Amino acid sequence: MRRKNAFRWAALPLAATLMLVLSGCSSYEFSRGFLPGEPGVTNHTDMIVNLWNGSWIVLWIVGLIAWALMFYAVIVYRRRKGDNTMPPQFRYNNPIEALFTVVPLVLVMGFFAFTADTMEKIEKPVDSELHIQVIGKQWSWDFNYKDNNVYETGIQSQFDGELGSEAALPTLYLPVNTSVEIELNSRDVVHSFWVIDFLYKKDTFPGKTNYMYFTPQREGTYQGKCAELCGEYHSMMLFNVKVVSRAEFDSQMAALAAKGNTGQLDSSYDRNLNLPGNGSDSKG
Amino acid sequence: MATATKTAPSASMQKKTKGQIVVDWLTTTDHKKIGYLYLITSFTYFLIGGVMALVIRAQLAAPGLEIVQTKEQYNQLFTMHGTIMLLMFATPLFAAFANILMPVQIGAPDVAFPRLNAVAYWLYSFGSFIAVAGFFTPQGAASFGWFAYAPLSSATFSPGIGGDLWVFGLALSGFGTILGGVNFITTILTMRAPGMTMFRMPIFTWNTLVTSILVIMCFPPLAAALFALGADRRLDAHIFDPANGGPMLWQHLFWFFGHPEVYILALPFFGIVSEIFPVFSRKPIFGYKTLVFATIAIAALSMTVWAHHMYVTGGVLLPFFAFTTMLIAVPTGVKVFNWIGTMWKGSISYETPMLYSLGFLTTFIFGGLTGVILASPTLDFHLSDSYFVVAHFHYVVFGTVVFAMFAGIYFWYPKMTGKMLNERLGKIQFWLLFVGFHAAFLIQHWLGVIGMPRRYATYLPEDGFAWMNLVSTIGSAFLAISILPFLWNIYITYKRGVKTTLNDPWGYGRSLEWATESPFPRHNFTSMPRVRSESPAFDLNHPEYAAPEAQAEAKKKG
Repeated sequence: MRRKNAFRWAALPLAATLMLVLSGCSSYEFSRGFLPGEPGVTNHTDMIVNLWNGSWIVLWIVGLIAWALMFYAVIVYRRRKGDNTMPPQFRYNNPIEALFTVVPLVLVMGFFAFTADTMEKIEKPVDSELHIQVIGKQWSWDFNYKDNNVYETGIQSQFDGELGSEAALPTLYLPVNTSVEIELNSRDVVHSFWVIDFLYKKDTFPGKTNYMYFTPQREGTYQGKCAELCGEYHSMMLFNVKVVSRAEFDSQMAALAAKGNTGQLDSSYDRNLNLPGNGSDSKG
Repeated sequence: MATATKTAPSASMQKKTKGQIVVDWLTTTDHKKIGYLYLITSFTYFLIGGVMALVIRAQLAAPGLEIVQTKEQYNQLFTMHGTIMLLMFATPLFAAFANILMPVQIGAPDVAFPRLNAVAYWLYSFGSFIAVAGFFTPQGAASFGWFAYAPLSSATFSPGIGGDLWVFGLALSGFGTILGGVNFITTILTMRAPGMTMFRMPIFTWNTLVTSILVIMCFPPLAAALFALGADRRLDAHIFDPANGGPMLWQHLFWFFGHPEVYILALPFFGIVSEIFPVFSRKPIFGYKTLVFATIAIAALSMTVWAHHMYVTGGVLLPFFAFTTMLIAVPTGVKVFNWIGTMWKGSISYETPMLYSLGFLTTFIFGGLTGVILASPTLDFHLSDSYFVVAHFHYVVFGTVVFAMFAGIYFWYPKMTGKMLNERLGKIQFWLLFVGFHAAFLIQHWLGVIGMPRRYATYLPEDGFAWMNLVSTIGSAFLAISILPFLWNIYITYKRGVKTTLNDPWGYGRSLEWATESPFPRHNFTSMPRVRSESPAFDLNHPEYAAPEAQAEAKKKG
């Protein structure tokens, strides 16, 4: 029994070390709490990273206290061989019980305050400089650049197990340091528009319009994925986001126009229109 | 009562023919036998759902694998894995333990409605089989995920009889759960033995009561929603039509059931470990009343948090649901500290049930921490529908249900069969399960954080998810292997386990089931000790350490 206890004692630091080693962490990754991306990818991400790190620090303290108390009890109060006595039979301790009710309550209030503040900033509608409509469909995306009157239509990933399929994914272009409003719709079932490094996703609903507002601040290519189960090829519903300079964005828009992608892909392609009983004006 | 009375074999205990045994089990209304039926059926579904999980993990071991032929089959696997584990394993497992133990713990000879009890079991049994039977149809089982979001779950986007079987099978099975809940509530309120006041009930019985109240509040909306979905699929109704906001309506109805359901899974198993910690710490439960009030608070709050599953829909009041969700951390934390308080200054021994309870506590604390993170919409926008969520709920649900289930089985096995399970095999199994579980699921938190969505049949090599998925798959193999020593343990105990004649083989049992014979006699008690505290068996066997009120009353009576 004693040897087993010694193993338990070692388990916690061992697990913690293993965690760090396994996750191959560098101090840079650690400073972001392993969240993907770089500082300032959008105007919201730094705020999210800060809340994430702050919350984890408090939670780890609470968790480590709980684990420490538990393992302390497990080791110190173990029944020794030949011990036939009974421990003190206390049943409650009101001050301590009050303490471990009130302290978490205060922590939760604080956590809520920070959450409410940041989520208000993230969700707040902004009068944006650029307007884009993103439409989810089984199993790809349509992008309507509303201000430029051009569109891009995607097909699902052709991933066959080899490297290199990512370049062929539909790509959403965004000019850097320009505030953007993305209007989210769906042609069939619920999808979810997730640009991973932007640390944000929102569902695209049939019959309901959602919006997201942000300003991309770093040029680069970012992965995007559908995050809500949408049928057989859910895992193939991938896309890229390219944040580029204004000039490059404009030339991309011109290229789309030159390809003949002028106009907008409107709701007439929605598959829910085919449901019995649906009028053509059903889209909300 | 260390000297147990031996029951004399009566005329009715002559050896029965095989046919008589079968008829006996099929027609039984005995709460214990129905409990064993629930236990065996739900454990069988646990193994089936577990095999599906292994196929899922194999498929994800490396990018681009094709272990399953089509992605549709993969979707069927995780849909049915979720459905089976939640509704055919964990929920009926609550009914199993509640049926076997609750009447004995309150000193009743049976439940209030024994025939209704049998009906409830058979509704569950047939309903579950119908839902799973989709695998025997040409298009296969339901594949729209266990929460069946509209309009993906409509006949347009998910045609096929498998989806219909899922909808109607679950509705049928849900009625079994509701009837079981009604039965437990009535039994606890009306059939307690003399002296068994509400605040002398064991914590497990309290949690059964609170869970049953949750059942009758949240399963009827599910049944209604399922019938509506069935009407959409078969009768061309338009209840969940996107034209009239159906997708959001479904999500609200589903999660109004789905969130309390999580607590229906958790609370009874909190009850099980609350029975086990005092016995192996040789101390009364710490803060009995705070534990009861914490349970009630969790149940009440759990009815007000459903839309935290819907933060990214852009259609719910974020501050309200964030705040109520965060509040749940408080009573949950109270419980954790009460369990630690129970061990504090105790005299703790590490038999298998205690080992599993400690495994539960270690795991559950981490699940609680990630739950607080997910409660914050700011952070959930990134984490929602990612593997972080998958890891979180496996820590909470597997950590609670499976660890506490094994704790409970080892703990009460002598009461159920009259034989103790092998301790050495139990400990081997525990360490395999513990290491396998954490290897499989801890890494999934990081997978989610770096961007792996849940329910993906495969992923790109460019994603960088490969090695973490491989670790998780290897962990799941250890997890699966840990079931083998358990099955072997059941078998050898059946073949050559030593019969125990003790009423209380653990020596420090507290509630009434430890004051009656092992295994239970037909109507649970041939005699019953006085109930003067929440630990009548302990007061009887260790009068010098009995609760103060029990000692005072005993002195008064002389």
